[in-house]
Amino acid sequence: MPELREPSHRVSPRARLMWATAAAAEGVVLVAVLVVAGPVTDWLPVPWWAVALAAVAVLAYAVGMPVWRYRVHRWEVTATAVYTQTGWWVRERRIAPMSRIQTVDHAEGALARLFGLATVTVTTASAAGALEIVGLPRDRALALVDELAVQADTVAGDAT
Amino acid sequence: MSAATVEVAWQRVDPRMLLVYPVRELVRFLPVLIGLFLAGTASGRTDWWHGAGIVIPMALGVLRYFTTYFRITPARVELRRGLLNRHQLSTPLDRVRSVDISAPLTHRALGLTIVRIGTGSASKDDEDHLDLDGLPAARARQLRVDLLRLGAPATTGAEPEHLDRVVLRFDPAWVRFAPLTTTGLALAGGALGVVGQAVNTFGGFDRVDPHEVVDSTAGWSAALAVPIGLALLLGAVSALAIGGYVVTNWGFTLTHTGPEHHGAWHLRRGLLTTRETSLDDDRVSGVTTSTPLGLRLARGGRVSAIVTGLGGESRSALLAPPAPRAVVDGVASAVLGTSAPLTAPLSDHGPQARRRRYVRALGPAAVVVVAAVTLVGFDALGTWSLGVVVLLPLAALLARDRAAALGHALVGGHLVARSGSLDRRRDALAVRGVIGWNLRASWFQRRAGLTTLVATTAGGRQRVSVLDVPQDVAVDLAHHAMPDLLAQFLVSPETNHTALRLPDL
Repeated sequence: MPELREPSHRVSPRARLMWATAAAAEGVVLVAVLVVAGPVTDWLPVPWWAVALAAVAVLAYAVGMPVWRYRVHRWEVTATAVYTQTGWWVRERRIAPMSRIQTVDHAEGALARLFGLATVTVTTASAAGALEIVGLPRDRALALVDELAVQADTVAGDAT
Repeated sequence: MSAATVEVAWQRVDPRMLLVYPVRELVRFLPVLIGLFLAGTASGRTDWWHGAGIVIPMALGVLRYFTTYFRITPARVELRRGLLNRHQLSTPLDRVRSVDISAPLTHRALGLTIVRIGTGSASKDDEDHLDLDGLPAARARQLRVDLLRLGAPATTGAEPEHLDRVVLRFDPAWVRFAPLTTTGLALAGGALGVVGQAVNTFGGFDRVDPHEVVDSTAGWSAALAVPIGLALLLGAVSALAIGGYVVTNWGFTLTHTGPEHHGAWHLRRGLLTTRETSLDDDRVSGVTTSTPLGLRLARGGRVSAIVTGLGGESRSALLAPPAPRAVVDGVASAVLGTSAPLTAPLSDHGPQARRRRYVRALGPAAVVVVAAVTLVGFDALGTWSLGVVVLLPLAALLARDRAAALGHALVGGHLVARSGSLDRRRDALAVRGVIGWNLRASWFQRRAGLTTLVATTAGGRQRVSVLDVPQDVAVDLAHHAMPDLLAQFLVSPETNHTALRLPDL
């Protein structure tokens, strides 16, 4: 039986830092809310040890998730197809033929800009079929968008 | 129509709409009118502006007629409407994907129809729909033929309806399936909500004295009252379900026009409001036969089409209402052009996939049971203990049924997948309708060597999922469906160093 290999390219290593920053920011907010609602104001019965436990979980997530995610996130573009692999706990591989590509989006969130990264999203006519490559270096992303636009244009049909 | 340069004049809809629009505006203003009326009677005076409450909506209705124009040029359909907020809609003819004709009672009485021109736009806003409201029925049908380029039956002078091949005609005996669907529950829930709201608004709940209710029902025996109450409830829900079924599906006919594979399917249904939908053969890429538990036990089912550009749970793609299984399969195979995807034996997903069904059903049930017993205590549960005891066997039965449903096949150019218990579905999607593959696996699935293969498509639910199939089978299936696409990403197992495959446990 043949097996599906992973896509050939990794995303930028800086993506790890971006994911960690986002996770840490969310975690800090969560822990701060817990601290204020629990031990400080006694509004909720949250003891200090529960807060400490939450902080440890948040820390583990912020450190572990980006490393794991970076190992999973990969992408590849060939003459006839786009192939991505995303996720960490749930791993998802998506393959779309070049002939079915409808739009190619380039997006830079505020946090991504901080790290000079960008997201390329390739959509098809199916609502279940968008391929997202998060954490590409900005220049690489722009070049990829151009490349994809040219390749998708050369294929006839209305892509449905 | 000769050349594209010819200027086509704007035209109004049928003048008979002058009767429909004012009535519709009146109905729309009804809450305001009732408010005005109540205010008037409360103050004991009838002022001139009470008349205005009737005249203004009617005038608005007349104005609507005079401010709505449409035209159909060789290249586009255009609609212009609105007095203050002008709104112009326009779509190229080659983007037209569906033409739906519907006729509410008011329209039917006057021989008029509403033509909805569908372009597969994702917009849910009602204002963005291209509705030609008020075309004579014959003109609407001709327009549909023109827009969908279904040949020209009208030029021969023959009645086009007679050329159709009738595939399905409604049988009143199918009404027996109505109470087995969830439609009745939904309708009952809606009715309950409306009635409750109304009673609450008029202070009905405040007038009910709980003590009085307790006193007057004190003599009732629970052994008698509970079954009677349940029977009444069941009867009411069934009656609603039957009513809903009859109103939407009465006169359901499915016909095919034009040459095989290059014509279109026509659906017609409705007791009060009639609806007609046309689905181009080229855009029908598959069918979904669903046999929810209730229908399955009664040997029934229903079938809907997966139509490119007709998204979501859009009911206009329903090919057969709840009906006997044989009828449903007949329609499905007629639409697919082959019965192989419906009858072919399905490949099993293996022991790991079956085990996963049990774990996923029994796990949450066990958590509930353990929590109930440890937190409340078995003795304190009282009659609830019965529910706790029954929970686990029920979960096991559900898991067994879900495990039995799992299966897939690739036959006759169609990807077939079956899954579910309470909501069992068998999807058959033409390979040409597949526009991408997703292989999704959680950590637990990877540990069990399983993956969920999803074929994405531009119609219906946007996807056909092959649930929990062994990893190598999933890749093999996608590879066989689209050899050119997947070949470039495959490695033979001997040279494989990258894929993470853990031993099956």
